[in-house]
Amino acid sequence: MKQFGKILKFELNGYLKNKIFVGVTLFLMLAIAVVMFFPNIRDLLHPDKTTPDSADRPVMLIYAAEDGLASDLREAFAGAFADYDVQTAQGTLEDVQTFVKTGVAECAFALDSLSSYTYYVNDLSQFDYNRDTADAVLQEMNRAAAMVQAGLSPEQAGEILSVQVTGRTETLGKDQGATFLYTYVMIFALYMVIMLYGQMVATNVATEKSSRAMEVLITSANPVSMMFGKVLASCLAGLGQLVAVFGTALVLYRVNKGAWGENPVISYFFDIPTELFVYLLVFFVLGFLLYAFLYGAIGSTASKLEDINTSVMPVTFLFIISFLVVVMAVTGAGSVDSTLMKVCSFIPFSSPMAMFARICMSEVPAASIALSIGLLAAAVVFIGVLAAKIYRVGVLLYGTTPKISEVVKAAWRA
Amino acid sequence: MILEFKNIHKSFGDKKVLKDVSFTAESGKAFGLLGRNGAGKTTSIRILMNVFPADSGQVLVDGWPIDYDRLGLGYLPEERGMYPKKKIIDQLVYFAELKGMSRKAAVTSVDHWLERLGMSEYRGKRLDTLSKGNQQKIQLVTALAHDPEIVILDEPFSGLDPVNAILLKDVVKEQIAKGKIVLFSSHQMNYIEEFCDSIAIIHEGKVALSGDLREIKRNYPRDRLVIRTIDPQPIRAAFGDACTAADGGGLMLRMRGPQEKQAVMQRLAEQFDVDEIKVFEPSLNDIFVEYAGKQDEEGKRV
Repeated sequence: MKQFGKILKFELNGYLKNKIFVGVTLFLMLAIAVVMFFPNIRDLLHPDKTTPDSADRPVMLIYAAEDGLASDLREAFAGAFADYDVQTAQGTLEDVQTFVKTGVAECAFALDSLSSYTYYVNDLSQFDYNRDTADAVLQEMNRAAAMVQAGLSPEQAGEILSVQVTGRTETLGKDQGATFLYTYVMIFALYMVIMLYGQMVATNVATEKSSRAMEVLITSANPVSMMFGKVLASCLAGLGQLVAVFGTALVLYRVNKGAWGENPVISYFFDIPTELFVYLLVFFVLGFLLYAFLYGAIGSTASKLEDINTSVMPVTFLFIISFLVVVMAVTGAGSVDSTLMKVCSFIPFSSPMAMFARICMSEVPAASIALSIGLLAAAVVFIGVLAAKIYRVGVLLYGTTPKISEVVKAAWRA
Repeated sequence: MILEFKNIHKSFGDKKVLKDVSFTAESGKAFGLLGRNGAGKTTSIRILMNVFPADSGQVLVDGWPIDYDRLGLGYLPEERGMYPKKKIIDQLVYFAELKGMSRKAAVTSVDHWLERLGMSEYRGKRLDTLSKGNQQKIQLVTALAHDPEIVILDEPFSGLDPVNAILLKDVVKEQIAKGKIVLFSSHQMNYIEEFCDSIAIIHEGKVALSGDLREIKRNYPRDRLVIRTIDPQPIRAAFGDACTAADGGGLMLRMRGPQEKQAVMQRLAEQFDVDEIKVFEPSLNDIFVEYAGKQDEEGKRV
């Protein structure tokens, strides 16, 4: 226990004295500070700008063979496309195409009739919904025209078309729109931290092995203390980094609350319920430890630093697959409670992300949460001890990287 | 204190690395563990250091199984290396603390040893800024700073210049004088010969020869003479094949047995122009080559 404390302190000091680690942390803090001051900075650059001028808006051209149709449509389209400066086109259809091609106009609608048109645009963006809007406008105009033709007055037609349906949503479980954000951010943070720090633990162990510091260490300290000391130090360093970055964000958010106003994304994020925050911490720490032990064990079996990248691949794959399953479930509407996610939320390698996502985005019985955490904690202890044994055997195996089965067999005997 | 290695067996997979290895080392004396590359020296040391257990057999101290929590062991591994990017004082204190010292005691002791080895000026430097020999001296501090009862030095002299070698010799002599067990492993026979009272030669996992070094030498057959002469030709002509060139320019004369010594010496002195005649005493080097040199003669003389 005494040794463990000393190892932890030494390893943690290694991170804190590492200029790159400190530099990256400071950079991230600075970057998040800039983000949090964004509203102030924006106001500073454009002090009195509220709505964009017509001069700033892109031009949309309306072309129709009949002049009357074009001017009617211009009015209707101007109402529907508030972001555009809608103008009727002069000249021929070729001229319109040239305007779009040369960038005088961003896009153009050439209408043959109220029910048929061609949309001209230079580069079609993936998020271009102009045709949907135009379809809606034209459909309404067609319906109104048809009603008038059938004998209704334009007023009656307008009344029928503008009937408002009212409705409201009452959320009995969780509002996935609201919880989606921390789920997403937490899963990404966990992903990034495990990837970065897992590699760091593996490299750290492999460096000790290749620099032969291991020969002295392994004869001085208990391998379980060594492994736990290293992994917990990296966990503390990773948590410290996150606390520094998100802490900066939180403090600056409090300072700048006025400037952010009622931005829903930001306030959802910072108003995370305490209960969820505790779960976040538990799953984060346990998930981190589980993978860090695996990375550490693998680092001890690599005989050269260059081998690390290939040696850690199986663990990295396992992790990426868990990550993808959870991210797809979280982004795919309402599928956080699919059978796959339910299974994943009990498997220790995926449960930190899967169970957290389910807790955030749906209703999970307390017993299930307890079982998931229990399984994960047991796996951490088991993998930790196994990793320490592999470490003890692995660090003295120089030469070619041994087979996994051989190492595990040797570790069992040790 | 007596350290006993008793009937140790160790295999890695199918490969038997140690086969019934036994030897004894006493405090206040240096013990030399000799053997060719791959003979099993480092494996023996690692078993002693409790890096891995023996398959069978025991390591005993004063007749009891060794207690690693109480007994201090200092180890200078053959594969040298510490943290290249860390400050020397930080890592030396860390290693001493891992051996159970308090931080304060560790700093005092490390400073003492840095001073003793003339390395105080490098205290705050990174290890990789030092030359190889100096790095080795730093590594020596990790083996000695916690004042261990048993000091294991694996090839301690490799890479040291003559001045540093003398410094290390003095340190080793001090440790022996303090009543510690000093276990040497080396290929450099002259150093072993200078320090060690007893030796064990390990060859292909077995102890080929062990015991008190002087006794081993004394028991060596005294059937050869070393002759120093200006004019070797007549002697060679007279003795034929029994006479060969010895190392260092003289002649080596093999007799039919030690009982012939007086007669042969008398004949040489009377009939030839010789400057010096003495009975050949093998150096440790000769003994080592004889026991560990020829693989097919393994174990013949045990």
